[in-house]
Amino acid sequence: MFFHIVLERNMQLHPRHFGRNLRENLVAKLMKDVEGTCSGQHGFVVAITGIENIGKGLIRDGTGFVSFPVKYQCVVFRPFKGEILEAVVTMVNKMGFFAEAGPVQIFVSNHLIPDDMEFQSGDMPNYTTSDGSVKIQKDSEVRLKIIGTRVDATEIFCIGTIKDDFLGVINDPASV
Amino acid sequence: MPRQRDEDDDEMEPEEEEYDPDQGLDEVDDEDEEEEEERAGRRSSQKRRRSSFIDDVAEEDDDEEEEEDDDDEEYAYRGGGAGSRKRSKKKPSGADFLDLEAVVDSDEEEEEDEGEDDFIDTGADLPEEGGGRRMHRPPLMEQEQEDVEDLERRIQQRYARSHHTEYDEETTDVDQQALLPSVLDPKLWMVKCAIGKEREVAACLMQKYIDKPDLNIRSAIALDHLKNYIYVEAEKEAHVREACKGLRNIFAQKIMLVPIREMTDVLSVESKAIEISRDTWVRMKIGVYKGDLAKVVDVDNVRQRVTVKLIPRIDLQALANKLEGREVVKKKAFVPPPRFMNIDEARELHIRVERKRDPMTGDYFENIEKMMFKDGFLYKIVSMKSISTQNIHPTFDELEKFRKPGENGEGDIASLSTLFSNRKKGHFVKGDAVIIIKGDLKNLKGRVEKVEEGTVHIRPEMKDLPKTLAINEKELCKYFEPGNHVKVVSGTQEGATGMVVKVDQHVLIILSDTTKEHLRVFADDVVESSEVTSGITRIGDYELHDLVLLDNNSFGVIIRVETEACQVLKGVPERPEVALVKLREIKCKIDKKLSVQDCFKNTVSVKDVVRVVEGPSKGKQGPVEHIYRGVLFIYDRHHIEHAGFICVKSHSCRVVGGSRANGDRNGDSYSRFDHLRTPPLIPQSPRRFPRGGPPTNFGGRNRGGRGHDGLVGTTVKIRQGAYKGYRGRVVEVKGNSVRVELESQMKVVTVDRNCISDNVAITTPYRDTPRYGMGSETPIHPSRTPLHPYMTPMRDAGATPIHDGMRTPMRDRAWNPYAPMSPARDSWEDGNPGSWGASPQYQPGSPPSRTYEAPTPGSGWANTPGGNYSEAGTPRDSTGYANAPSPYLPSTPGGQPMTPNSTSYLPGTPGGQPMTPGTGGLDMMSPVIGGDNEGPWFMPDILVNVRNSGEESTGIVREVLLDGSCRVTLGSGGSGETVTVLPNEMEVVVPRKNDKIKIMGGSLRGATGKLIGVDGTDGIVKVDDTLDVKILDLAILSKLAQS
Repeated sequence: MFFHIVLERNMQLHPRHFGRNLRENLVAKLMKDVEGTCSGQHGFVVAITGIENIGKGLIRDGTGFVSFPVKYQCVVFRPFKGEILEAVVTMVNKMGFFAEAGPVQIFVSNHLIPDDMEFQSGDMPNYTTSDGSVKIQKDSEVRLKIIGTRVDATEIFCIGTIKDDFLGVINDPASV
Repeated sequence: MPRQRDEDDDEMEPEEEEYDPDQGLDEVDDEDEEEEEERAGRRSSQKRRRSSFIDDVAEEDDDEEEEEDDDDEEYAYRGGGAGSRKRSKKKPSGADFLDLEAVVDSDEEEEEDEGEDDFIDTGADLPEEGGGRRMHRPPLMEQEQEDVEDLERRIQQRYARSHHTEYDEETTDVDQQALLPSVLDPKLWMVKCAIGKEREVAACLMQKYIDKPDLNIRSAIALDHLKNYIYVEAEKEAHVREACKGLRNIFAQKIMLVPIREMTDVLSVESKAIEISRDTWVRMKIGVYKGDLAKVVDVDNVRQRVTVKLIPRIDLQALANKLEGREVVKKKAFVPPPRFMNIDEARELHIRVERKRDPMTGDYFENIEKMMFKDGFLYKIVSMKSISTQNIHPTFDELEKFRKPGENGEGDIASLSTLFSNRKKGHFVKGDAVIIIKGDLKNLKGRVEKVEEGTVHIRPEMKDLPKTLAINEKELCKYFEPGNHVKVVSGTQEGATGMVVKVDQHVLIILSDTTKEHLRVFADDVVESSEVTSGITRIGDYELHDLVLLDNNSFGVIIRVETEACQVLKGVPERPEVALVKLREIKCKIDKKLSVQDCFKNTVSVKDVVRVVEGPSKGKQGPVEHIYRGVLFIYDRHHIEHAGFICVKSHSCRVVGGSRANGDRNGDSYSRFDHLRTPPLIPQSPRRFPRGGPPTNFGGRNRGGRGHDGLVGTTVKIRQGAYKGYRGRVVEVKGNSVRVELESQMKVVTVDRNCISDNVAITTPYRDTPRYGMGSETPIHPSRTPLHPYMTPMRDAGATPIHDGMRTPMRDRAWNPYAPMSPARDSWEDGNPGSWGASPQYQPGSPPSRTYEAPTPGSGWANTPGGNYSEAGTPRDSTGYANAPSPYLPSTPGGQPMTPNSTSYLPGTPGGQPMTPGTGGLDMMSPVIGGDNEGPWFMPDILVNVRNSGEESTGIVREVLLDGSCRVTLGSGGSGETVTVLPNEMEVVVPRKNDKIKIMGGSLRGATGKLIGVDGTDGIVKVDDTLDVKILDLAILSKLAQS
């Protein structure tokens, strides 16, 4: 799920960037630092949409760096248990397949793939139904339900299932 | 036999006792006398009573004994009252022994322990003795008759007393209690003996006692269930020792005292109540099936037999042979592997299979040779004694096999009850989700509320049920749902964590966090946990992912740790080879900081990101975790197998972001790839080098190309300041200061960059990096001086006047770059603080005016404006150096190798970097060319050689993609297929004289022209548009595709 929230961060800036463009530099660095990161609490920071305010800078002894408390608005993405997501399959192996929904990696175990889908190894490993009508392979798009999440400091890992109504392949690259 | 003497013997030659039977006998008498004095009256009378009974028995055994008896009688006679008491006392010692133990034991022993010489002798003698006894008896009786009155009295006494006492013993409980051993009673000693000889040893002791009643032991006990030990009852340890002396099969070195409390246990019979019920798992104890898992199908408690279901181990071929009477080879060594019985297969071998109906159960069985089969299983009736029911830990494999022929899950639950018997204490804790697996409430889920001994109170999840239910612990099992994050707390996978993927009855399938593999565990073995571990990560001194040297001198990375062993991915690049290694097979941990060369001779060290360019794992990419013997272990996050580790030869890899082969013409074209990450100016400096001398000389130089944070991660030594002498690892480079993590202390300190020397580490591929930090410092300038004398002759050498004309544009570019450079410097936003460290290098160069004002001290070129850019532009102005451009001439190769030489003249160079002065100087020159050739090096319409897995083919670049790779049409005519090629996989085709060319760099980038001549590494180009003739570095020239 996506959220638009306000977060705060202390930014350290090298003195050489002080000057007219200080604010721009600060924002640029903030984006560089924050976008794409992940925190267990908020999930992935997808984009910074605005700066609420920049506090007073504090010069740090020794280094000359200045730290600014910056409040910024950002869009975060955090997957939840039970959430239904659409994801792109990135890897298929005999244990299941990995899919990515933006920054989140989701693993769908073969136990959570409908029983009529069988693993086919080969050049392009895939899961195929017995009649061959549905095929899950790399780059397929699937709709899945998250059944468990594990949140690390830098990564959110999910386990999903497609063994439910209305879940499964929604767009097959092979057929396009 | 004077008594006096006997007593002396007793005291002075105790050893003799054993060897001199006659004497011994006497001595026993004496001792008994002494003993008797100590005994209480009642007891002695008891003994006496017994003794008179024993008299006969003792006599039966031995003539000597009889003689002794006679002696005794005589004593009794002579000694009068006291003597008779003495006599009565004497017997008990023999009596004690025999009536309690020997009588029983000897019977058994005679039957069982045949072959024991001593014993057999006695046994064989016995019948004769029987006769002998009768012979001897009369005299004894005669003797007795001499004192009929005495006898009468004694008998009376005996019976009267015994009556009384027996009555006593039977009635009171207190007396029963009093029979328990106390401190005053003889102790039990445990003595080691040969395994299997327990009974024999006990019998020998008995025999010995009979032979020499002076032994001070009271009994010897051999227990059927205790191997290797016998018990000996005696007052003192020394007595036991004495008794054991000279006996074989008994090892009296260590005699242990049995604590009084435990003495009764030694002789109490333990009734083992074996509870075998249907569907429990058992293991076979004997036979072909020893150790095999079996399932109880039927129990016959009366006959003590059970019917078990087994996976047959039957060699059908052998069976067939046997049935047909052919060569019946009794090969015991071979145990057929367990395999389900295939009846059809058996029929094919002409084995008669009967189908019979079991009258009891009504089931049909296939009978072969009296063996019953059903569904491939063997049904076998065995004695209860031949199966073990305790501590059965069926593994998943075994259970899996048993489920083979489509059994429903019901069986599993029943079997779990067996598994549950081995639960640890405190298995359930409050809050656990549980499910009831037995009884009326089966499948009811709930949460644990309270745990009592054996009973768990649960709060059911269903409405309309009482708030809490008390359930027997054994009827409960933990319950999990898919998606739960759990930790395995027991079993083979102990310690692993993962997410539950599937719940199958009471078996969970979890996806391990670290290995991304499926694990099957019992729900009972896991707990809910948010912790993330890979299970056990240590084995002995080794940790997961360590590089270890194995026994046979092979090596590998530990990719999985189990309880007693670990899996090691061996260092065999050809194929992934995983070995299960025991701890003792690991020799040591390899913790060397090595660096090797990749396929382009770039240095690869640990943590460098490399891509595999050939071999089975081609295309994989990841940081190098270990290097050993030219083999890299790469960790690829996306690689599922082997915990993400890939083992490859270093030569099959390429450092991502590393420079292309150092000698290549466009060698640094790839390092430019780096510009995406690094400040653009640094990598340019090496560009000068390919121009010059033998490329290999500059391995070190080119490496600098990716040295944006080169110092980071290297081990340095601090040379000055408060932390002088400390060694540490550089964690960050910030401008002129470096943050160093000290090896000896757990802290990170900030030191001046000049205060460190980094040549302590072997791994520093970026050795030249500090130079940048010192760039602006004066020492560099003096250092340049010696260069010039060296260079000068060079310049004289190959000068061609024509070049004079060519100089101008070059010079322009030499100076102009400062404009383009400044934006480049802004690339600090790179986000890599490490790169900042490199930026100061521009400072020396950027204020060129200053260097102009300060003539190089000591330089012979008095008027040479500031060392740095002298070569580039100034020399031309100074009269004596009309031929200054020579550095760009073919002669340069000679000059280049000399640059390092010049260092020898610079003893004072800070940091002692061998390259510093020379290369540093050249670096400064780099802007001559660089600065403005940012952007794709390759350009459309140029001819390139595409190197693809060893083959080379020519192609035409059609389009340069944003990431630096190009779309190339193969074939020199551009007729082949179009492929996307990475910059490192292709090189520009070197134009020859009169070729049409395209300029790939510099101010004329994009212009086309004709190569009218080649001068060393410079090309003389006639530019199409302007018709100007320019001298350009060959490196930026490429052959234009004919279109």
